[in-house]
Amino acid sequence: MTAETQRDKPGKTDETMKRYLETGNFAVAQAAVMAGCRAFCGYPITPATEIAEAMSKLLPRVGGYYVQAEDETAAMHLAIGASLGGMKSMTATSGPGFILYADPYGWAIGCEVPLVVLNAQRVGPVSGITGAPGQGEFYLSRYVTQGGNFETIVLAPGTAQEAFALTIEAFYLSERFRTPVTILADQLITDGWEDLSIPETEEEKRLMGLKFFERRAHPGPKFYPPTDEIDVPPVVLGMGAGALCSDWTPTEEGYDIETVEAQHKHAYRLIYKIRNHKDIIMRSETLFLDEEPDLVVVAYGTPSRVVKTAVKRAHERGQSIGMIRPISLWPFPEELFKSRATYLSVELNYDGQMVREIQRAAPCGSEVHFFGKCGELPTVSELQEVFDKLLKGEPLQRRGWETEAW
Amino acid sequence: MDYLATKYLRSRKIPSSACSGCGLGQCHKALVKAIDDLGYERNDIIWGTSIGCAGRQTFATWKGDSFAGTHGRVYAIARGLRLALAPEKRLVLTVGDGDAFGIGFNHLLHAVRTNAQMTVMVCDNLGYQSTGGQYGWTTPPGVVTDSSPYGMFEPNWVQPGRDVLMILKEAGATFLARHVSMDGGVLVETLRKALRNNGFSLVHVVYPCTTNFGKNALGSRKPVDIFRWIKSHAKPLGLEKEDTIWRTGIYLDASNSRPEFSQFMREKVEEIRRRHGNEGAH
Ligand code: SF4
Repeated sequence: MTAETQRDKPGKTDETMKRYLETGNFAVAQAAVMAGCRAFCGYPITPATEIAEAMSKLLPRVGGYYVQAEDETAAMHLAIGASLGGMKSMTATSGPGFILYADPYGWAIGCEVPLVVLNAQRVGPVSGITGAPGQGEFYLSRYVTQGGNFETIVLAPGTAQEAFALTIEAFYLSERFRTPVTILADQLITDGWEDLSIPETEEEKRLMGLKFFERRAHPGPKFYPPTDEIDVPPVVLGMGAGALCSDWTPTEEGYDIETVEAQHKHAYRLIYKIRNHKDIIMRSETLFLDEEPDLVVVAYGTPSRVVKTAVKRAHERGQSIGMIRPISLWPFPEELFKSRATYLSVELNYDGQMVREIQRAAPCGSEVHFFGKCGELPTVSELQEVFDKLLKGEPLQRRGWETEAW
Repeated sequence: MDYLATKYLRSRKIPSSACSGCGLGQCHKALVKAIDDLGYERNDIIWGTSIGCAGRQTFATWKGDSFAGTHGRVYAIARGLRLALAPEKRLVLTVGDGDAFGIGFNHLLHAVRTNAQMTVMVCDNLGYQSTGGQYGWTTPPGVVTDSSPYGMFEPNWVQPGRDVLMILKEAGATFLARHVSMDGGVLVETLRKALRNNGFSLVHVVYPCTTNFGKNALGSRKPVDIFRWIKSHAKPLGLEKEDTIWRTGIYLDASNSRPEFSQFMREKVEEIRRRHGNEGAH
């Protein structure tokens, strides 16, 4: 019986590939270069600094540019500028920088600029704890800018190997959807040392399931079709197309206009090009769901690794338990929450974020619970204790300063 | 503007949506004239703009490629774009005083520091006029605006000893000038020089806002009153008088004397590539 299902889980490896003992930061930089990134614009911030450092070393060797910006707002705008000129580009940061990206995210989403953004989540609010993992930007990565009227694409790696594959995937999706794609990692993934395989030949890349998409340039004059179609080439300046892009509501040609009809057409495109092609984005890993377990544990990123171990052990001991690990976080994979069950969201924050999305997605009659740690991972025994309680129908309680539960 | 407009500007956007009597058109026309004088074609130039009157009214007027940044960010977008554009393409930006010297000043300074090629015309309407008329960083002392009802009493950035062009000079700009929009042929001549610099050029041009500045500061919306008022307070460098607010002319011409941003980036990358090949990358 195939208890473990991996819906397009990226990053399959095999023994012949070149292997490294390296960090997620290294993996991301290698992947970005492989995906054709030729401009990285960054600003030093723990724990994403090493991506910038690695890019400053790698990019010039392949004819690309590393630019250190005056602040994070500028970093992402510089990356936007490079992308507008036809270069694949990227930036990476952590919470305090990510909040400054709100401004350029809006511009890039509105002008449909392909771009990859990585956020190595640490503990907040504000500067919080710099060198510890957190998961406080679940909703912020969805609502990255003001104004609404858009969908976002967010991918969440659980290992360095997956960070490698998802970085390439992010570039691929950003070109096809003409939008910035966010990789929502955490400090343990970017800083942690892990076994990593990197493909070198085309055959190895194919085996790993990596997909690539070349940059194209829109010939004009209708740069902003009011449709949900994807694979529309993005605006590239300097090609003589008479291209227009701005922060104002665009006509189809890109002129600034202030009518509700034009705004609605624009919003329709920004929302539905993503919603209506969600199947291309959706990735997840699940455990034992086909057994219709009583308890379904949900986690993404680094904590999902401990959760997976704990769920497998509990399952071995005969408990009715399963697991959902969303790999694509946004659009949220609500179709995975089909069965009526007791759901438990395990997150690296104390306020409970993804749990609210699960409450929205779970069918009527389900129970939804939350177990939060912050700055450190839950342990298998802590999780087992929580599973036991929920399976007995007992309520969860927070424990001092250590855990939050509801 | 007819010949120039037909050659370079989009009919949909000309005449612009600026208020009637606004002096922005003089700035715009002078820049297009300078571009024409130098023989540039529409695809030689990528035109960026900011928000505010100067940005909104000039966005998408250029027949070639045009982009508009959000508040103050156009310099950062332009610097990233500069890296990716072919070296022979020219970046031209028309921006406002609030955008360049306020919200975008940090980004402007770093474009200056790296001598990134962009010819920036700061079209200065002496405050925040598209939001109804609040004081800004160049609003003359004593002037009444909606947010300085008792008269502007903060220091501004065109006063001697605190001149923003001096900051930009020390920061590494290679061409700097100041004018008022009615300077005509002299302004066009300056803009030609600014465009010939393969580096960071900034031309600060004060222009009359009839709708808000004229009404608030001078109590008159009559274009002739504000045009006359601005002209009477501008004098060429060296000929300043007691009541001079704007000293006009070229403050610095170090054109083509220092490596341009994208040029030194390209050269450095080539050098590193020769030395290291693509070792370390797959
Ligand atoms: S508000 Fe003033 S500066 Fe703006 S367009 Fe009208 S007259 Fe010109």
